[in-house]
Amino acid sequence: MKDSLVLLGRVPAHPDSRCWFLAWNPAGTLLASCGGDRRIRIWGTEGDSWICKSVLSEGHQRTVRKVAWSPCGNYLASASFDATTCIWKKNQDDFECVTTLEGHENEVKSVAWAPSGNLLATCSRDKSVWVWEVDEEDEYECVSVLNSHTQDVKHVVWHPSQELLASASYDDTVKLYREEEDDWVCCATLEGHESTVWSLAFDPSGQRLASCSDDRTVRIWRQYLPGNEQGEVHYLSCRGGMQRLLTQWKCICTLSGFHSRTIYDIACLTGALATACGDDAIRVFQEDPNSDPQQPTFSLTAHLHQAHSQDVNCVAWNPKEPGLLASCSDDGEVAFWKYQRPEGL
Amino acid sequence: MRPGGAFRQRGGTSHFVSRRLATPARGSSAAVMASPFSGALQLTDLDDFIGPSQECIKPVKVEKRAGSGVAKIRIEDDGSYFQINQDGGTRRLEKAKVSLNDCLACSGCITSAETVLITQQSHEELKKVLDANKMAAPSQQRLVVVSVSPQSRASLAARFQLNPTDTARKLTSFFKKIGVHFVFDTAFSRHFSLLESQREFVRRFRGQADCRQALPLLASACPGWICYAEKTHGSFILPHISTARSPQQVMGSLVKDFFAQQQHLTPDKIYHVTVMPCYDKKLEASRPDFFNQEHQTRDVDCVLTTGEVFRLLEEEGVSLPDLEPAPLDSLCSGASAEEPSSHRGGGSGGYLEHVFRHAARELFGIHVAEVTYKPLRNKDFQEVTLEKEGQVLLHFAMAYGFRNIQNLVQRLKRGRCPYHYVEVMACPSGCLNGGGQLQAPDRPSRELLQHVERLYGMVRAEAPEDAPGVRELYTHWLQGTDSECAGRLLHTQYHAVEKASTGLGIRW
Repeated sequence: MKDSLVLLGRVPAHPDSRCWFLAWNPAGTLLASCGGDRRIRIWGTEGDSWICKSVLSEGHQRTVRKVAWSPCGNYLASASFDATTCIWKKNQDDFECVTTLEGHENEVKSVAWAPSGNLLATCSRDKSVWVWEVDEEDEYECVSVLNSHTQDVKHVVWHPSQELLASASYDDTVKLYREEEDDWVCCATLEGHESTVWSLAFDPSGQRLASCSDDRTVRIWRQYLPGNEQGEVHYLSCRGGMQRLLTQWKCICTLSGFHSRTIYDIACLTGALATACGDDAIRVFQEDPNSDPQQPTFSLTAHLHQAHSQDVNCVAWNPKEPGLLASCSDDGEVAFWKYQRPEGL
Repeated sequence: MRPGGAFRQRGGTSHFVSRRLATPARGSSAAVMASPFSGALQLTDLDDFIGPSQECIKPVKVEKRAGSGVAKIRIEDDGSYFQINQDGGTRRLEKAKVSLNDCLACSGCITSAETVLITQQSHEELKKVLDANKMAAPSQQRLVVVSVSPQSRASLAARFQLNPTDTARKLTSFFKKIGVHFVFDTAFSRHFSLLESQREFVRRFRGQADCRQALPLLASACPGWICYAEKTHGSFILPHISTARSPQQVMGSLVKDFFAQQQHLTPDKIYHVTVMPCYDKKLEASRPDFFNQEHQTRDVDCVLTTGEVFRLLEEEGVSLPDLEPAPLDSLCSGASAEEPSSHRGGGSGGYLEHVFRHAARELFGIHVAEVTYKPLRNKDFQEVTLEKEGQVLLHFAMAYGFRNIQNLVQRLKRGRCPYHYVEVMACPSGCLNGGGQLQAPDRPSRELLQHVERLYGMVRAEAPEDAPGVRELYTHWLQGTDSECAGRLLHTQYHAVEKASTGLGIRW
């Protein structure tokens, strides 16, 4: 297990500050980092090392909490505690802030692009999740304001192929949303975590959703569509006696006892997931080869103590290079790792 | 892990369980626990249970005098606080008061404004006043007046399977049975809101060259919208909002000024209740601008939602359909009141239609028979245009619901708002869908809303200019249409809320 996660390098991404989040561009060639120093940095490789190619410093007045690349790779969105979300347009190594999305009452905690590239979601400590639409002229309009959560919303993420949105909150739940007629609705609430849900990740196929929490567990959820072969059937009894088949989400696996502190982030690959923990460690779990897809089991295949000198805030798998993992921490550093799948798994 | 890691786990103090009212939220987000206030107000933390990280806008203002060093504070037996200066002198300290209206303005409060409001303005309060009247000597009694909104009436009509006229008459019967003296219809005061809005628009349209902020003009009848605008966009948006009072508050002026005079009473001797389709109207009634300083009385003392009236009926053990219909009261002795009247242009008052048609006539000499709406991105955002020979003369819109308000405001900020007038309402589908309307657990909510809309539309529409009693009131009560009286009694002001930074703000 010691050799399964190897350090490739570290960079002092946000010196004297925290590094909050990382995002690989869709091509896997650039890594965006953001932090408490109100800056966003874009990292690229030069030979064997990682160098800072751009610094985006005039966008925000407070901590930048999350960054997200558009599916085409030409835009970067940044969510900040200053209650705004900036949209940056990439022009080779330069980034220009083309729009600032306002409207949230207070700190924006997360931003995410839908797979189509036409929709954006943001969420905030004001307990709401907003869906925005962008048109051909790069104009953004608010399409929906969803007030389903009862507390601070920490993270939003889109399904990899459908227009399905998931959010995680301080109210201990995960909620899912989709468009119905001319508005967005909350179509499911996943309960089970006993404390704040900090982050979410869909697996590349979109069949499963992983969540991680302050309760030190990871939960894997699976969507059961109407007519599924497992016979899972759920009805919604509407007013008027009409009944409607709902897709239901069930928790099919809980990973507990592995983390000694809050789990702040989770990142999924097919059959594997990485976690960022408040005990300064990074862990990787692999799905057991013969486990039942309806009740999967996972084994801990990498546990790197002291991956950083403080809380690990984010882990992100490179979308193109298998096994390349980036992580960042309250210590302001970004680290790059190579994960080797252990033999026999 | 860095020391103090526990600090990160829970931001607030204890984890309060949200004491939401039973009414679920209207609209799309079918939350189990939801606030009864409109979406626009919900987002402004009006009903938030706060941890110390929220900011209170009511910091205690202390006058700092130079050279006054560290002061000691002594608490007297009666609970008052005295500051003891270094020279031994004492000064009584003012109590920091957080009033209902501060809750209105606050974006982060120690107690829940919701609970405060509900207890101060409830059907329980009305019952107390009525009971007090029964016990009191005639000189101590208060004249109790109830003004019912057409939207609440339509909601009750749907629930009890009655037509609007019977509902109005039976409601009158019910209220008088429990001790109310007069029952009015806010469709009457709405004539004034509409007329003032029409006049204001034409004035501002004509004065565009002189004033950059003249247009767009934004409707002012919805308190959810007003509170949001004051709190969030302040001095930028407020100059665009119509100063015309809402029908509720015009009724406040009518009852506490005109009617009081007629009855030879001072305004504080009247207890004025309104029945409204939403909770946000309770906030509107408690605004300082609608408080009569001279007589220390509010223009509207108590707002009951449609749901609260329903509860009142239940508690009194009354079946509305079984009551004998009573004749309808009218504020103008001359006007016949056989049946209620209403206005065209939808369930939120018809501001767009009235301003549009009046402006078309006044500004361009064009008579518009039917107003055609063009839906935009969703059914709560529609536009109306007046064109002549390919030129757009008037471009109006209706924007209901928070997401559409957002887009409107953002466009305005960027100078990209193409509209001359926008009817803004905080609730999706407008006032007929307000958070205080009755719900039917056994019916799909959309079907119920359509039923309420049909009942609302059944009431005969009247043009405000032609409504009996209105012209006379302008002449005799207000001394003219553009008089100082009209300005004072039919218009209001708005106040931007500045968020103060206090030590309570914990920055993550």
